[in-house]
Amino acid sequence: MRVLTFQLDLPMRIYFLLFFSLVTIVLTAQEENYQSVLLDKELTNNADAILRLDELVVDLKSRDAMTERRKKVITVLNKMGDRFAFCIVGYDNSRKIKNVQALVYDVSGRQIDKIKQNKFQDVSAVDGSTLYSDSRYKYYSYTPTQYPYTVELVYETETKNTGELRSQWTFMNDFKMSTEKSKIEINFNSPDLRPVVKEMNLDGLGIEKDESASSISYRASHLSAIHNESMSPSFLEIAPHIKIRPVTFQYEGYEANISDWNDLGRWMSVNLLAGRDELSEATKRMARSLVQGVDDDLEKAKIIYKYVQDNTRYISVQVGIGGMQPISAIEVDRVKYGDCKGLSNYTMALLKTVGVNAYYTHVEAGHEKVDFDEDFPDLAQGNHVILAIPYENKYYWIDCTSQSHPFGFIGDFTDGRKVFMIKPDGGEIVTTTSYIDEQNYQGTDGNYTINDDGSISGSIDIQTKGIQYDNRFGLEEQSQEKIAKYYQNYWENINNLNIKTYHFDNNRDTIIFKESVSVSATNYASKIGDRLLFVANAFNSNKYTPKRYRNRKLPFHIQRGFLDEDEIAIKLPQGYKIEALPENIVIENNFGSYSCSYEEVSGEIIYRRRFFVGNGKYSNNEYEAFRKFMKDVTKWDNSKTVIVKS
Amino acid sequence: MVRKLLIIALIFNFSITFAQDYEFGKVSKEELLEKEHPLEKDAHAAILYRNQNTYYYSGSGYANLITEVHERIKIYSKDGFDYATEVINLYKNRTETESVSKITANTYTLEDGKVVVSKLDKNQVFESELSYNFNQKKFTMPNVKEGSVIEFKYKITSPFIWNIDDFRFQHNIPVKKMIAEIRTPKGFNFKQTHKGFLFFRPKTITKRDNRVGMDMVVSTYDLTNVPSLKEESHVDNINNYRAGIMFELVSINIPGGINKSYAQTWEDVAKIIGNSSDYKNQLDRTGSFDDELDVLLKDKTDKFEITKLIFDYVKKTTEWNGIDGKYFQNGLKKTLKEKKGNVADINLLLVAMLRYAGVKANPVVISTKDNSFPFFPTLERLNYVVAHAQIGDNQYFMDATEEFSDLNLLPVKDYNWKGLLVDNDNMVWRHIDLISPQKAINNYMLKVELLSDGTLNGNYKARFTNHTAYDFRKDYEDKSMEEFLVDRESRFSGIEISNYEVKNAETYAGPVSEAFDFNFDNGADIVNDKIYISPLSFLKMDENPFKAEEREYPIDFGYPFNNKYFVTINIPENFEVESIPETILMKLPENLGEFKYMMNQKGDKIQLSANFEVNKAIIGPQNYLILKEYFNQVITKEVEQIVLSKIKGDESAESTVGGR
Repeated sequence: MRVLTFQLDLPMRIYFLLFFSLVTIVLTAQEENYQSVLLDKELTNNADAILRLDELVVDLKSRDAMTERRKKVITVLNKMGDRFAFCIVGYDNSRKIKNVQALVYDVSGRQIDKIKQNKFQDVSAVDGSTLYSDSRYKYYSYTPTQYPYTVELVYETETKNTGELRSQWTFMNDFKMSTEKSKIEINFNSPDLRPVVKEMNLDGLGIEKDESASSISYRASHLSAIHNESMSPSFLEIAPHIKIRPVTFQYEGYEANISDWNDLGRWMSVNLLAGRDELSEATKRMARSLVQGVDDDLEKAKIIYKYVQDNTRYISVQVGIGGMQPISAIEVDRVKYGDCKGLSNYTMALLKTVGVNAYYTHVEAGHEKVDFDEDFPDLAQGNHVILAIPYENKYYWIDCTSQSHPFGFIGDFTDGRKVFMIKPDGGEIVTTTSYIDEQNYQGTDGNYTINDDGSISGSIDIQTKGIQYDNRFGLEEQSQEKIAKYYQNYWENINNLNIKTYHFDNNRDTIIFKESVSVSATNYASKIGDRLLFVANAFNSNKYTPKRYRNRKLPFHIQRGFLDEDEIAIKLPQGYKIEALPENIVIENNFGSYSCSYEEVSGEIIYRRRFFVGNGKYSNNEYEAFRKFMKDVTKWDNSKTVIVKS
Repeated sequence: MVRKLLIIALIFNFSITFAQDYEFGKVSKEELLEKEHPLEKDAHAAILYRNQNTYYYSGSGYANLITEVHERIKIYSKDGFDYATEVINLYKNRTETESVSKITANTYTLEDGKVVVSKLDKNQVFESELSYNFNQKKFTMPNVKEGSVIEFKYKITSPFIWNIDDFRFQHNIPVKKMIAEIRTPKGFNFKQTHKGFLFFRPKTITKRDNRVGMDMVVSTYDLTNVPSLKEESHVDNINNYRAGIMFELVSINIPGGINKSYAQTWEDVAKIIGNSSDYKNQLDRTGSFDDELDVLLKDKTDKFEITKLIFDYVKKTTEWNGIDGKYFQNGLKKTLKEKKGNVADINLLLVAMLRYAGVKANPVVISTKDNSFPFFPTLERLNYVVAHAQIGDNQYFMDATEEFSDLNLLPVKDYNWKGLLVDNDNMVWRHIDLISPQKAINNYMLKVELLSDGTLNGNYKARFTNHTAYDFRKDYEDKSMEEFLVDRESRFSGIEISNYEVKNAETYAGPVSEAFDFNFDNGADIVNDKIYISPLSFLKMDENPFKAEEREYPIDFGYPFNNKYFVTINIPENFEVESIPETILMKLPENLGEFKYMMNQKGDKIQLSANFEVNKAIIGPQNYLILKEYFNQVITKEVEQIVLSKIKGDESAESTVGGR
């Protein structure tokens, strides 16, 4: 590692700064030539684009004045790289764009286009689920006529919210993109404005650091592109970056001084949450009457959660400081909709009315588990809010934006990760409920009859728990057409599948979903003379084969395990007997286990299968073995049985 | 089709309506109590009532087009909550903009047997600038629950008085009652064209409007129980089949006043386009072409060769910016300089260059599939232009916006029935047939070495023409080799590819060919000393794309195709053929397609030659069930297995030999 740290006395520092700013100017002048005829092989290898220069200067002038000056130059090597050349700058009522401009250079570095601020498109940043947001952005998208080409984006923004200091700087922008030069410089006018910086994955990359009493800067150069591979860790887990957080800051008029999560929790609680939980007397009466006669806090919480699920829906409206602060409970109560913050806060208020404690909790939601950093308290982490309900030394988690999840069940959206729980007097990092391995269970029980013409008919019961429950219970709400499509897709190994009947039983207390389906299909078994050939395992065939990499480079991660158990009885057509059954198999390895067996019981075939995969982190070298395991399962799942007319 | 119409007519006659009050605010308890839509039980929501009234109003000297909307929606389930948000897009240009006013909206909910009314708060109506051409007003209703009824009304004022938006009668949810009225001044003749599969007629009367002081023509559409519109696969553009009315101003005849005729026939439309300055003056303005073209065409006299060279040149030197249009965005000069532009910039540049080189070339203005089907003479709804050249008796269509297109090989979206040839020089403005896409011929050849453990090793060779080649090239261009191979392996499920080779994928002309060696671990099944193998192996079709029981819309394959397979399998030593699938030949009616599957065996070699074709790009819904069954039969045949059995000890080996 070559991180340089300077401890300098005062005169020395001035000299040092002068020296470096001179160097910067000289270098910048030289780099204005963005030719892409001669590019370093190290940078083009595996890359769709090269970050030629990414330079950010942040000036923290005071607690309520911050400017950002950015210059980003990208050479796009091919069509796949076009997505990196998209020029975009966000703004809102607090953050103003002072100027923005884009330049385009051809392969020889000749400037071929110049796009001024008024030529940028200016649009609202609303997406599908957002009704309104006062966030907007300006963007420009260049239509290339040849490759490579180079786009330079220059902009300057200012804001009074120093709390919005950017939370990270990534020296590489994405997979498949290399970096020629990346530099960040944060200047602060007083020592209390000095941000805390945490280095991530910088080892061995020659990234230089300079630090003084009024400035912190990092510079990186010549970083080769990383190729994205399936099941690999997220980009941020492997890419070099720094995390940045302000200690003393101002956010929408609220002053803060944060040294740990407890401070941040108190600050959130006092400034952004306090008083948002008021409700009308009528609503309070209504809430109390809902839980009348119920003493147990957990039972009360279940009733209130059910009420919220039945009476509200998710709509996001982001106005003013709506990005951080929930809409008041009274307002949500009136319109019966809100975003994650509004609905959580509203539920919390109702719970409080009936004497149940609940804590407002920030979480990074998504299928991929992302933890809050325990020693890095900042406002930037998290994208969602859920509630924690303490009961008998345990937390029960609820997501108030879901109208269908059972109480205490959060599924793979927010499970098993470190989150930031806000209590009235402080905050702390806790971990949400995990659903591990066998807990993600699917049991399939069924029977089917094979007919002389190769058609089959049968009935199947499927029971799911844990994350497998989460993937399934939504079926209940679907239309008949969608349900038929779902099964035709789920059992895609059976052509001409006809769903005769289906029935669902969603037990929200035990959190078990039961599907009972009866089906038929023509031509399932192939008829060859007097013989019928078919796959006994009709209803749970492994479809997943991991992608093959000729040269796997990144480690891989199985985030959640699962267990499937199957037992299927197969009736043969009249006058047929078994000619050949596939062999019974038992496989065990690092990743899990698989077994299947065939048994003849009074003229029927009993097929049993058990497939288990555990969670775990593995190196790139183990990937091929995992792939083979999955391929073997597919193979044994598809073993053929032959019966013959006797 | 006839049957369908009958059913719909019946529904119209026996409409199940109890006395309904459609006045704003008069939502009944019956409406609130209704648990599901009586005809479509799966519907998440339904439009109980929609009244739309479009008319002209002139206040303060300016005429405006006013549309008043009143809508009542029933929400049956949580998935219907999406319909509780209303989005109104308001068109604008540099000087004028549409606006919406008088928004009133209520939610009605039954709580403890009482109707609770929740009003929409004015400050919960949000306006935002969506894009350069659109503002957007949005609101979502308060206090919405399963079972709620919501109701809103508003008024849109539009300064764009000649553009009347389509009336949409059919939605993704069923409609119980729909009334739509349009009033136009007498003498302003709007053609009203009907689309979709539902049958309905307006009631039209003429009456005096004293506010405007003119006679007005009033057309009223009154529909009951309009079924929801369902999406299906292989549809060119679902909106073509949505019941509705399209409006187009065709003429103005005011006695003693203006007498002006707009597009009444396709020829009229072609003339209007031809008279626009883009088509009138620009196309023969050849002075700005640089010397490059002269160098390119030096000593060339063959018109076909010249056409090819120029087409190639325009494709190579210009880039399409992704924007459609029949008129210039940049104009020829700027397009030449910046080397990019919209569709018209690029294809009209091509026309101009061809003309400059002495080729008889003209623009053909069309509507692409994603835009709409050009049902009737229209100026507004044509969104695209391609180039057309006449060389001797041959005609060539060209679209230079796509790198891999060729003469008469256009992007699939371009093949949309007919177009308008605009030939100002010869005073020809004609509605002409577009060419149909050529059949894509795909040859696959497999040589398979079957091992006694069920492994297949082999060699694959394929050759694609026309649109399959075009699709292959686009796919190949967009990916790195590694990603491309990963995709190839997941398409040909089960195999691992090595020694991959591709030819002619980076140019546009001629066929693409690819070849590779493969290893297929469990390509054959071994059961009880027998080997079972499907001869087409990883090339067989796995899934029938047609699943629905019936279909109302044509099936659009994009282009006709013929897949030819030739497979040779070498069987392992000590195994003999027990049975092979039988040869079959299957034909679709009207020569729509043919499937041929022929197996034979020679010594330790088994050969398959198969042919699967669909001869038309678009097949009518009347043939849907036959087509579905055709695909089904093909799949069934392709999974049939060859059975090999192990040659047993000496005596059985002898008998086998004897058998041969």
